[in-house]
Amino acid sequence: MKNRRLFSFLVSLVVIAAFLAACTPAAPATEEPTAEPTAERKVATFIWTQEYDTLNPLYTNMWFVTVLYPIYTCQAWWFDDQNNPVPYLVTEIPSKDNGGISEDGRIITLKLRDDIQWSDATPITSADFKFTYDMVMADGNAVSSRAPFDLTESLETPDERTVVVTFTEPFAPWLARLFAGQSGAALLPAHILQPVFDENGTIDTAEWNKAPTVGCGPFVFQEWESGSFARFVVNENYWGPRPKIDELFFRFVPDDASQVAALKAGDGDVGTFFAMSDMPELEAAGVVIMKSLSGYNEGWYINQHPEKGNPALQDVRVRQALAYGFNRQKLVDDLLLGRAAVPATDWDNTSWEDPSIEPYTYDPEKAKALLEEAGWVDSNGDGVREKDGVDLVLKYGTTNREVRQDTQAVAQQELAEVGIKLELLSFDSDIFFASYAEDGPSANFSLDIIEYSDSPDAPDPNSVVWRCAEIPSDENPAGVNPTGFCDEEFEALWAKQETQVDVAERQQTFHQITKMIFEKAFWIGLWQDPDYFGFSSRIINVKMSGATPFFNVVEWDIAQ
Amino acid sequence: MTRYIIRRLLQAIPLLFIISLIIFIMMQNMGDPVATMGGRRVTRSEDRIRLTRQLGLDKPVIVQYLYWLVGNDWAKTDMDGDGVAETPGKRKGVLRGDFGLSLVNRKPVTQVIGERLPNTLLLMLVAEAIIISVALLVGIYSALHQYTALDNVITTSTFIFYSMPVFFFALLAMYIFAVNFKAWGLPYLPTVGMFEPEAGKSASQVAWHMILPVATLSFGFIAGYSRYIRSTMLEAMGQDYIRTAKAKGLPRPQIVYIHALKNAALPIVTLIALDLPFLLGGAIVTERIFGWPGMGRLFLDHVDRSDTPVVMGILMMIAVAVIIFQIIADVLYAWLDPRIHYK
Repeated sequence: MKNRRLFSFLVSLVVIAAFLAACTPAAPATEEPTAEPTAERKVATFIWTQEYDTLNPLYTNMWFVTVLYPIYTCQAWWFDDQNNPVPYLVTEIPSKDNGGISEDGRIITLKLRDDIQWSDATPITSADFKFTYDMVMADGNAVSSRAPFDLTESLETPDERTVVVTFTEPFAPWLARLFAGQSGAALLPAHILQPVFDENGTIDTAEWNKAPTVGCGPFVFQEWESGSFARFVVNENYWGPRPKIDELFFRFVPDDASQVAALKAGDGDVGTFFAMSDMPELEAAGVVIMKSLSGYNEGWYINQHPEKGNPALQDVRVRQALAYGFNRQKLVDDLLLGRAAVPATDWDNTSWEDPSIEPYTYDPEKAKALLEEAGWVDSNGDGVREKDGVDLVLKYGTTNREVRQDTQAVAQQELAEVGIKLELLSFDSDIFFASYAEDGPSANFSLDIIEYSDSPDAPDPNSVVWRCAEIPSDENPAGVNPTGFCDEEFEALWAKQETQVDVAERQQTFHQITKMIFEKAFWIGLWQDPDYFGFSSRIINVKMSGATPFFNVVEWDIAQ
Repeated sequence: MTRYIIRRLLQAIPLLFIISLIIFIMMQNMGDPVATMGGRRVTRSEDRIRLTRQLGLDKPVIVQYLYWLVGNDWAKTDMDGDGVAETPGKRKGVLRGDFGLSLVNRKPVTQVIGERLPNTLLLMLVAEAIIISVALLVGIYSALHQYTALDNVITTSTFIFYSMPVFFFALLAMYIFAVNFKAWGLPYLPTVGMFEPEAGKSASQVAWHMILPVATLSFGFIAGYSRYIRSTMLEAMGQDYIRTAKAKGLPRPQIVYIHALKNAALPIVTLIALDLPFLLGGAIVTERIFGWPGMGRLFLDHVDRSDTPVVMGILMMIAVAVIIFQIIADVLYAWLDPRIHYK
C-alpha cells in the first residue's frame, strides 16, 4: 500500500511536470499564432551555442545577438562581404561629396529612405533615431554601452527624413558605430517603447526586450522559449524583397561536441564557434565552412606597467625573444590544423593591415642571442636564465578555453628551451576580464603575458585598449588597457587617427601605430581569429560579411 | 510529530539566513558581472563605471545583501553619476517575495527560474521514476539470485556503468543512436533539443527527444541504486523474521515483497528523499549536452556571467527544498518504521 502511494505520488509529479512544461510561458504575446508547419515551408535551423541575453540591441553586446541584427532589426547601413557599407535605412552613405559629412568632420547627416516601415506598418522616421539616442543616454536605462553617443554634442531631426548627429570632435569611427555595425545601436520602435519609458522611467524591463514582436528586419520575432529555441518568421510588411526562407529557427545547444553532432546528423543547418579541429569532420559530413573576417586576432598583450610589470619585459629584446622563441606557425599547424595564419599585427584581415609587416619567424637562436645581449644568462645551469639573481619567470594567464590552455602548454615547453620559464594561469572569463576594482587578472597587472582575442570596432580600426587613459589604477579602476604602457608619441598617434576622417591619411597613421607595436613587440600575435560558420549543403546563396555577417540573409535559400 | 515538524521549520529560518549570507558573499568573489557585458570585447571603462553604479554593484557587499534581503525601496540610487543619490529604489527584497532582476537579461528571477523548472522536473522525474523502477527490479533479482551467472553479469555491468562519466555516456549514446544510426540508414533518435521545428512542440516530440537524456541520467543511478537494493535485500533476507515467515509457509512473493522489501526499503526511501531536492537543480552535464532547457544549464550560464540574483534564487530554492525533503524523509522513516518516534 505504501509503495503504491509512493508510486502514485511520483506519477502525479511527472504528470504535473509534463503539464507545467506544456504550459511554459514560451510564447510571449505574439501578433500572430505559430504558423502551422506545411510541406512547402522553408525552415533553416541554427545551432546556437549561447542563448541570447536580450534582444534589445541597447542592452547587449553579446555576439550571438549582435550578429542577428540584419535578421530582425535595422541599422542605417550594413557591410557587405568586402566590408563595404551598403545603404539600408538611408538613401546613401554620408560623405563630404554628398554633404553628409561637414567640412570639419564633426557633423554627420543621415538622409532616410521614404519607404521604410516597422513590421506593424508604422513608418520608420527620424523620431525613431532620436528616441533610440535618447534611450541610450537616459540615466534610467542601464544600457550596455553609450558609445558613440556619449561623444556627441547632439542629435537633431529637422524633418521626418533627416537625422543630424553632431560630435564634439571629428569622430573617424562613425561609419562603423553610428547606427551601424555590431558595436553600434540598432533602431528601437519609438511608438512601442516611448509609452513604456514614460510610465516606468526606464525600458530596462520592457516586454519588447525579450519579445520584439515589432521589428524592422526582413524577419520578425515570433517566439523565444528560455534555454530552448527562438523563431523568426518572414516580416510580411518588409519594404525590401521577401526573404526566400520562411523561418529561421534557433536552437540553443551550449555544448560544442553536441553542436558538431547535430550538424553532422542534419539536425541543424547553421552552426558557429566550433573548434578548428572539428572542421575536417564537419566537412566530411558535407558541412560547408565559411569565414567571416571580423578583425579578431588572438595574441599576447605584454604587461609593461612601469611599477607593477615585470622589469624584464621593459626590455624590448626580452619581448622580441618571446616572439622568436615560440614557434607560432607550428602551433597553428598542429593545434588549429593550419586553418589560421599567424598575425603580424592586431589589424590583420582588415583593410587597415600594413602589408609590409611580416610576423616574427621562429628563430630560437636569435631569441637566445637577444636574451644574452639583454644580460639574461643561465649561469647556474637550471635551464632558466637569470639576471642580478632573478630568474626569468613570466606569469602567463588567459581564460580556460581549451585551445588557449593548449597554447599555454606548448608555449611553456618551447620557451623553456630558450631559458624562459612560464608560469601558467587560467581563469573563467568573468574572472579573467574582471576590472581592476574587482581585482581581475587581466587588469591588475599581476600577469606578465595576457592572452585573448580582441578586435577593433570592425570594420573600423579604432581600439581603446592601447590608450593611456585606459590604464587601470586606483584612480581609474575601470580602465581596460592590459599592457599598462603609455608613451607620448604612441598616444599622440592614437589621438590623431581617431579624428582623421580622411581614410587614406588615417591608414598612414595606423601603419605607424602597427609598426611601433610590432617592432617593440607590445603585442605578439598567435593566430588570426575570424569567425567560422558551418552551413549544411542545402543552404545556398550565403555570403559572409566581417562586420555584419548575415547581411544578405534575404537572399539565402534552401535547396530543394 | 506536528511539534517536531514545526520545530524543524523554525530551526530552518536562521539556517537559511546563514546559508544565504555565505552564498551571497561567495558570489561576490566569483567574478565581475560587468566584465562580460562587453560581449567578446572588453567593456569600455566609461560603461563599466556607469553600469556598476546603475546596477548597484558599487555598494559594499553587506549593503548589496541587505538590498537583496529587504529591498531598496527605502533608499535612493545615484543613476546619473553626479554623486548624489536621487532615484528611489524599486526592489522589495526576498523577504517580501522579490528575488530581484537578473543582471544578464533584466527579467525577474522568479520568471527566469519559472521558465526552466517545468522542463527540469519533467526530465528528472521521468528519469527518477525509471531509476527507481529498474533499480528495484534489478536489485531484487540480483539479491534473490546471488552468485548466479546473471547476477554476475549484472554486477559487472553495474560497476561499468557506475564508473562511466556521464558526458562520455551521453556523447557515446548520441553518436551511436543519432549520428551513426542515421548514417547507417537505421531509425535514429534526435541529437538535441525538445522537438523538431518543422513538427512543432507536441507531447510525442518531447517524449521522443527525451529518450537519450533520460537514458543518460538513469544509467549511473540505476547501477548505484540497484547495488544498494541488492545489499539491503540480502541483509533482510538473512533475518530471523524471514526464516520465521518461510517456516510458517508463507508464499515466496509475500515474503519477498511484503516482509523483506519493506524493511530493505527503509534506507532507500531516505536516500531517494534526500536526492529529490537536487532534482530541482537539474542535471548540468546532461542538459548541456542534449540542449535540454533546464535548471542545470540555467545555473551554469548565470554562474558564468556572475549573475548573483539568479544564482542566489536557484541556490536558495534548492536549500529550501533540501530542508523540506529532509523533514519529509524523517516523517517517512517514522511512518515506515513504527519503532521510530520524534519528540
